[in-house]
Formats: sequence, structure tokens, C-alpha cells
Amino acid sequence: MKYRDLIIFAILLAIAIAFPWMGVKRYLIASALIMFCYATVVSQWNLVFGIAGIFSLAQVAIFAFGAYTTAVLGRYMDLTLWYAFPIAGLAGMVFSFFVGLACLRMRGIYVALLTLAISQVMFVLIQTDSACSPLNQRDNPATCVSFTGGAQGLGGFGSFGWRDVLGGRNWILGDYYTMLALLVVALIFTAAVTQSRIGLAFKALRDNEELARSRGVSVFKYQLIVFAASAFLTAMAGGFYAAHFGAVGSNLVAFPLLLFLISMLVVGGIGKAWGPLLGAFLLMAADEVFKEFSDWRNIGLGMIVLVFMIFLPEGVAGAIEAVSKRATRLWTALRRRSSA
Amino acid sequence: MTPESGEPLLACRNVFKYFGALAAVNDFDLDVHTGDVVGIGGPNGAGKTTFLDVISGINAATSGEIRLEGRDISRVRPDLICHRGMARTFQLNAGFDSLSIRENVLIGSAFGLGDRGVPAVTYSRAMRERVDRALELCRLTDRAHATARDVPVLERKLLMLASAVATDPKLLLIDEPVGGLNPHEVDDVMEIVEGLVAEGMTIILIEHVMRFLLQLSRRVVIMHHGEKIYEGDTQGLLSDRRVVEVYLGAGTADRLQHMLAERAAPNG
Ligand SMILES: Nc1ncnc2c1ncn2[C@@H]1O[C@H](COP(=O)(O)OP(=O)(O)OP(=O)(O)O)[C@@H](O)[C@H]1O
Ligand SMILES: [Mg+2]
Repeated sequence: MKYRDLIIFAILLAIAIAFPWMGVKRYLIASALIMFCYATVVSQWNLVFGIAGIFSLAQVAIFAFGAYTTAVLGRYMDLTLWYAFPIAGLAGMVFSFFVGLACLRMRGIYVALLTLAISQVMFVLIQTDSACSPLNQRDNPATCVSFTGGAQGLGGFGSFGWRDVLGGRNWILGDYYTMLALLVVALIFTAAVTQSRIGLAFKALRDNEELARSRGVSVFKYQLIVFAASAFLTAMAGGFYAAHFGAVGSNLVAFPLLLFLISMLVVGGIGKAWGPLLGAFLLMAADEVFKEFSDWRNIGLGMIVLVFMIFLPEGVAGAIEAVSKRATRLWTALRRRSSA
Repeated sequence: MTPESGEPLLACRNVFKYFGALAAVNDFDLDVHTGDVVGIGGPNGAGKTTFLDVISGINAATSGEIRLEGRDISRVRPDLICHRGMARTFQLNAGFDSLSIRENVLIGSAFGLGDRGVPAVTYSRAMRERVDRALELCRLTDRAHATARDVPVLERKLLMLASAVATDPKLLLIDEPVGGLNPHEVDDVMEIVEGLVAEGMTIILIEHVMRFLLQLSRRVVIMHHGEKIYEGDTQGLLSDRRVVEVYLGAGTADRLQHMLAERAAPNG
């Protein structure tokens, strides 16, 4: 089974590497790289939500935190973004660690409510941040922006820098492969954690917290570990997102993005190894197809989550697993009959 | 036979547990020495499970003193109590449902003896050996790869027992290991627990099935309304008026007398 997963991984990676050279339109390359970014975030979310069973909605806030940290470091400290990314990752870990600490005595839906509230507070803080920041004094007072850029967003902090290396036409390939590399790291990291002893503690707490504690598993320790561990690559993804677009805005913590990403998690299959990737792919594709109905986007996403929760709680990955299990059983039965 | 001298492994003094006005455990005392097998019986709602919850840290005592190897554990977290050497099973068949039987037992083995500092990524040889041993003692070796969710009730009970055994406990608490099993399965579990006793394990056992309780226990405690109404050997139990009155009933007491007599003279 693990062997099979490795083969699937190799094939998908080969396709992803070849994709930009298959004569696709430029905007598809751009969409694919955004999909990689979202899939990275969702894969880390899956670690918290699917593997450790903690109903945290903080992942989007961590993503935004990473994006803003990168933007601020790039803009005000003139840091090359390649240095800003790991710092943003570490800052995201610290941020998430404290979110985990705040959620320690809560269970289930209360964790969801608290983490949602944290995102909302971030959103409001950014939206209402309008006073001209001393750091932006060099700007003309009339156009001077606030520290976070407020409702307008913040730009002018640099990019990956691929334009200088690859030129004005091909820089997007640099962004594409950078994002792909992050996703590959995220998938390997998630798989490794899931298979490790730490992952076993996460699953124990998810399946039966009382029993897990009675077998010596500390809630305190592993909840903080999962919050911190899942935040590094999420915040990095935020940084990469900022670097690709060259701007950050409060939409990164707003509800539509949260809904979009949680739909990916649910559609792909909560707790399934391939869930985040499948979900990110399917929802990006659906978004592309239903572009004309964008007014209905949030309602449509809500409906999708609802339908999957009720009829396919294991998501597409779960359904594929079930079908392939049945097919294997049928195949062995047929073989036995033909050999008899 | 049992080393009665010296400090008890577990010492409980004046333990109370209130739920509102209800004293589920009422001024309860109990000493357990290394090598003991203590059976706890009593009617439904007597407070047996609550007592286990209290000593294993799941549900802190309202008042009283609980010492394990002389150290107070009345306010210690359940995971740390497990590290100190007390492991329990649950009356409701608790398990890690999405995991295999082997992984269920591995959790007890990997985390049950202590888990300080940065957790390692892989499992030590000793951990894997404890898993193999626990699976063997609980006769689950052939079933190790089945998913907990899918296994029948007997195996669910056994895997819970195995995951407790894998923590290498100094004191093992077993809550109704044969509730809901058929007589044949009861015999299987009896043999398995006898095997644990033969390993020298110290056990507190709760059970309603009296033949199970009487055969395995070296000492029996009967609870009623949170209080201890009897503590002593199995013979004395069946002739104790209060126990017969509130719990066994005259017919059952007679039947058990015969069972014990037959067992004492197996060739008769
Ligand atoms: N969490 C709780 N909150 C309130 N009351 C409780 C709680 N747990 C147990 N009780 C009550 O405490 C009393 C003792 O219950 P307990 O489960 O310990 O009995 P028991 O001896 O294990 O019974 P059984 O043989 O049926 O398992 C009962 O009256 C029960 O209703
Ligand atoms: Mg009980």
C-alpha cells in the first residue's frame, strides 16, 4: 500500500513538472501554482483536523500571518524574501503555538469557535488599521498607508526575484516550481509525521482522548506539537503567496477563503493522505468551470460542504479507497473461481 | 503467599467522590499489595467504576488520600498516573477505532511507560517486544492487523486489556472484562486473566459474573451505595448476611457455594 502511494506520488510529480511544457495557457500555470499553495495549507490543516482530530479553523489565520510577516519584513526591513520566508514560518509557529495553548481546555466545536474568532479579530484589526504609519513617512502624507496597509492591502515588498533570473516572460515558471517544491515538502512532511510515533499520539487523541490519556499520552504536549508543527509550512505558504502576488490584503483572513479551503479538506477527505491534493484540485477545477456564477460561489461552496458531510463524509479519497477495496475483493474472488 | 508486610502498592484512605449530593464513593479505604488480586463486586450503581475513575485520575476524588508506592496521586493527571505504573480498562469497550489492534497496543507500549522531552519518531525494540508479549498474553497475535472498529466484542475487550498490559503496569485495573460475553467466551477471558496473574501481575478486578470474580480473586470487596460492606475471602463472602441480602440473593449464594466446593475437590 505504501509502495502504491509512492508510485502515485512519482507519477503526479512527473505530471506537475511537465505541465508548463505541455502547451498550456499561461493563466492555467498561474492557477496550478495557486492550487499548490492551497494544497500545502490544506495538507497542514489535515494534520490538525484530520489526523489529530482538533476542530481548529486557525489555519487560514496562520496562512495570513505568514503572508503579512513576509510582507512587513520585505517592506520595512528591506529583507530579501528568501530570508523572510523561514522567519515567517517560525513566527507562524509561535503564533499557532499560542492559539493551541488558548484552545487547550476546549473541545470540539468550541475550538472551532475560538479559532474563528481569532481570524475575525485579525480581519477587523487589519481592516480598521488606517493611521499613517511612521514607517511609511517617506510616502506623500496624502497617500501614506498604515502599517498593515489596512483595507487597501500592502505591496512594495518584493517578489521571489525570478524576473531577474528568468526574464519577463518565464518568471512565472520560477514561481510555479517554487510553489511545487513547497507542496512536495509539505506532502512528505505530512506523510512522515503521520507515520511516526508523534502521529500515533495524534491519532490516539483523535480516536479516544480519555483512553489515550489513560495510556500515557499527554494532551497538553501533543496538542501544542500539532499546532506548532502544522504552522511552519502554512505560514511559509502564506509568504510564497505574498511573494507571487506582490501584495497582501485582508481577504487572506476573510471568510470566503476559509470556506474555500475547508471545502477542499472536506471534498478531498478529512484525514486521508491524498485528501488535500484531491480536494484542492477538484475545487480549483470547479471554480474554473463555474466562473460565470461567481456571485453564487459561497453558497455553492456551502452546499458542497453540506452534501459531502452528509453523503460522503470520507470525501473523494475515502470513496476511491472503498471502491478499490471492493474491486480487489472482486478480483481475488474471480481469480479463485477461474483457477478452480 | 502475598507479601503483606511493608508499604502497600496502592493505599486509599477516606476516599469520597460526590456527584452533586450523591456520594458515589463514600469513605472508601483499600490497600493493595504487590501480587494481590482484589475483586470488587456490588450492585449496579454501587460506585465501582467511579472508584476506578478516581484512582486512575480520570475523575479526581472530592476528598481523601490515594497513594501509589507511597506517593500521593489524588491530583495527578491520568497520563502521568499511567507512567507511574497504573493502567486500566474501561467498562464500555473503549478502543482506538480507526487503528489496527497492533497499533492500539503499540500506543500503550510507546507512551505508557513515560514520554519525556522531544518524542522520538520511531519505536524502540523494547516497545515492539512489549507489544508482541501483550498480544500473546491476550491471544491476539493472529488478529493484530484487524482494524479495531471491525472486530467482535470479545476481541475489543481483549485489545483494551492488551493495550493496558503493554504499559507494563505495576497495578492493573480491569472493569467488567466479561460483561456481555457468552459463557464460552467468559472461560476464554478467565484463562487469559489467569495467565496475567501467573505472570505475577497485581490486579483490581470488577465483575458482576460471580464465578469469574470468585475464581480469580484472592480477596473480595463488595460495594453498596459507595461504601464497602464486605472485605475478605471468597468463603466468608457467601455466608455474609448483608452481602447475600443486598447483592447475591440466597439462591445465587447457594449455587456459588456448590461451585466452590466442586472446585476444591475437582476429582469428586
Ligand atoms: N459522571 C457522573 N455524573 C453523575 N453521576 C454519576 C456519574 N458517574 C456515575 N454517576 C453515578 O454514580 C453512581 C455510581 O456509578 P458507577 O458507574 O460507579 O457504578 P458501578 O458500580 O460501576 O455500576 P455498574 O455495575 O452498573 O457498572 C451511580 O448512581 C451513577 O449514576
Ligand atoms: Mg461500572
